[in-house]
Amino acid sequence: MKRTRRLLSLVALVSAVSLLGAACGDDTDDTGSDTGGGDTTEQKSEIKVGLAYDIGGRGDKSFNDSAAEGLDEAASTLGLPAPKELSPSKDEDREANLKLLAEGGFNPIIGVGFAYADSVTLVAEANPDITFATIDTVVDLPNVRNNVFAEQEGSFLVGAAAGLKTSSKKIGFIGGVETELIKKFEAGFVAGVKQTSPDSTVEAKYITPDGDFTGFNDPAKAKEIAAAMYEGGVDIIFHAAGGSGTGLFDAAVAAGDGKWAIGVDSDQYLNASPEQQKHILTSMIKRVNVAVRDTIQAFADGDTEGKTVVLDLKADGVGYSTSGGYIDDITSQLDELKDKIIAGEIEVPTSPS
Amino acid sequence: MTLTASPAPAEQLPPPATGPVGRWPGLPAWQRTVVVVVGALAVMSLVRVISGANGLTSQGTIGAALRLAVPIGMAGLGGIFAERVGIVNIGLEGMMVLGTWFGAYGAYEFGPWWGLLLGVAGGALGGLLHAIATVTFNVDHIISGVAINIVGPGLARFLSVIAYDAESGGSATQSPRRSGEIADITVPGISSGLKSLEDRHWFFVSDVAGVVRGLTTSVSLATIAAAVILVAASFLLWRTRFGLRLRAIGENPYSAESLGVPVLRIKYGGVVLSGMCAGFGGAFLSIVLASIYREGQTGGKGFIGLATMIFGNWRPGGLAAGALLFGYSDGLQLRASSAVPALFLLAAILCALVAAVDVARKRFVAASIVSAAGAMFLIGYLTVDELADSLSYLTPYVVTLVVLATSSQRLRPPAAEGQPYRRGEAH
Repeated sequence: MKRTRRLLSLVALVSAVSLLGAACGDDTDDTGSDTGGGDTTEQKSEIKVGLAYDIGGRGDKSFNDSAAEGLDEAASTLGLPAPKELSPSKDEDREANLKLLAEGGFNPIIGVGFAYADSVTLVAEANPDITFATIDTVVDLPNVRNNVFAEQEGSFLVGAAAGLKTSSKKIGFIGGVETELIKKFEAGFVAGVKQTSPDSTVEAKYITPDGDFTGFNDPAKAKEIAAAMYEGGVDIIFHAAGGSGTGLFDAAVAAGDGKWAIGVDSDQYLNASPEQQKHILTSMIKRVNVAVRDTIQAFADGDTEGKTVVLDLKADGVGYSTSGGYIDDITSQLDELKDKIIAGEIEVPTSPS
Repeated sequence: MTLTASPAPAEQLPPPATGPVGRWPGLPAWQRTVVVVVGALAVMSLVRVISGANGLTSQGTIGAALRLAVPIGMAGLGGIFAERVGIVNIGLEGMMVLGTWFGAYGAYEFGPWWGLLLGVAGGALGGLLHAIATVTFNVDHIISGVAINIVGPGLARFLSVIAYDAESGGSATQSPRRSGEIADITVPGISSGLKSLEDRHWFFVSDVAGVVRGLTTSVSLATIAAAVILVAASFLLWRTRFGLRLRAIGENPYSAESLGVPVLRIKYGGVVLSGMCAGFGGAFLSIVLASIYREGQTGGKGFIGLATMIFGNWRPGGLAAGALLFGYSDGLQLRASSAVPALFLLAAILCALVAAVDVARKRFVAASIVSAAGAMFLIGYLTVDELADSLSYLTPYVVTLVVLATSSQRLRPPAAEGQPYRRGEAH
């Protein structure tokens, strides 16, 4: 009896450990390195790129996938030998992954996502000879290249689209977490609405306060907020709420014809279900792939100094999508606004007034 | 005391939600409940009329409160089943995560009702794991629970990579949208008929109309299923032999054993039922409140459910009241955050009522403390025009604090909760 118990507990322990191991072990290093194996010059082939994803990793059909796409692009043009990709399964993994890459001789090392701010600071300070790069956050060190986006400019364009398309003159904004970063979306969006429809009002609401990051993963709350907005007469809602956004799309489906949603980060029309697609007017796009590709390209060109690169409309770092064809009639007006922003004729605010 | 299956009226009653009323000894239970509900509604109505915050009792807010209460209430019910049989279940969150994953998987592959069933099965799996660890191997309940909170999300991530990575709309952290949905029902006539009444914003009448409309408009069949489960669980625990034995084990397993109760088997039953309830809550979250599984979606609702169970004194009625309270404050914050400052006024009025009772009972120290708190709330209401968003997020927590402070503290956990049990080792 006692022996079978001990055996059982051993089995339970082993299976639990192997389960955990399996859950954490989705680090992939089989990337697009084979796509550009034998071409280009040999001195470039010494670049060992280390890419540390945020939670979700390659295959998240969003932020991380966009970064992976940039890596693949760079790999095919530069012929990178076996870039290493790691994705964390919990918050503490970020620093460990960066250290692992640094110890493995990878250079440059890119941390994807704002959550890497602290860990990049720590590891970059300890490894001054390695070039690091961040995305969506700024680390002020001589060996860190920071990639930030002009989210307000992309948001301005989708705001302008909303202003042109609204019939109720009531427009909504749902932010995931009330951070400075997400406020940039709100500021640009509101300015865009006011540009094309000065008498429209924008109702803005955040899911959680700064510090509580569940707001990016709570479709239920986003749906409740959006439903209340639609019931109050709002006809177009823009979200900057990451994984909570599907809740907005569901609320638009439930609210019926004439109620629209605007996606964020990637062209969300492409990954939405058919019933949701009928309500996705456009998406504000952040081209993380451009940031990753340019970072690797710059490193290959010998540019290793610390700096902050702003990926704006001019650099093609942000934009809007036209999938679904719902805004085909206004793209010329939007592109006109885009040119004005690039030319500096329109200044888009970065914080809500 | 729990060994006698006396259906004492007090056991059926939610804990006093508005303080003093619950202590009236003269009235039968259902009458006290009616008095509490009508009184609470009257106070809410008064607050609404004074503050003009019509969101307080609107159909939208009440409907949201009902919806949002379901996952918390189901997790709490899971807590009751486990703790009533003597097993601390801090793993509810992990079981709920399993419920969200299996629920979304079932809803995506086979349809939403199958999803709910699969979610329940997923939760049961977590419960079974907890039972094996705590009942068979006598692992410390907290340690096993924490382990389940780690294993649950890990397993969900692992399965997501297998099941969703290649699907359109799915990824390692989320499932594709479910196919089909669980129907909402609206009672014909009532909802539209009472709308004009609600829109008049009269004292009390419009509030009743708003509440009735909220409870009869677009209510998901799954919400009704949850209510049925709650009532059935209540019946099972207090009116059947199984329930009596289960609760007896939670109080004193060795006494139960000496009377021939199969303690180990019933402990297993209780903990698995606990996982099933948590799984239902998780599946409701991913199928009804959202349409996908998303990593981190539960956001601590399992723990809130556990807190609600304690708040409800380990009883389904009190649990339901607590869950509705959480759901209400969540719904109000999400749907009508401009109405949140009116809650200051509500708190002030509640404090005044409690202080009056304290004075009547000659408890002057308590009365002065409560009146001071009430005065602070009143000042808060008069000085704050519009609550900054950053403060309105705190609504659920502040409401809980206030209610816990104003309601009586007579909570009693099951006596043998958390203690190891070995068959035949009575001492």
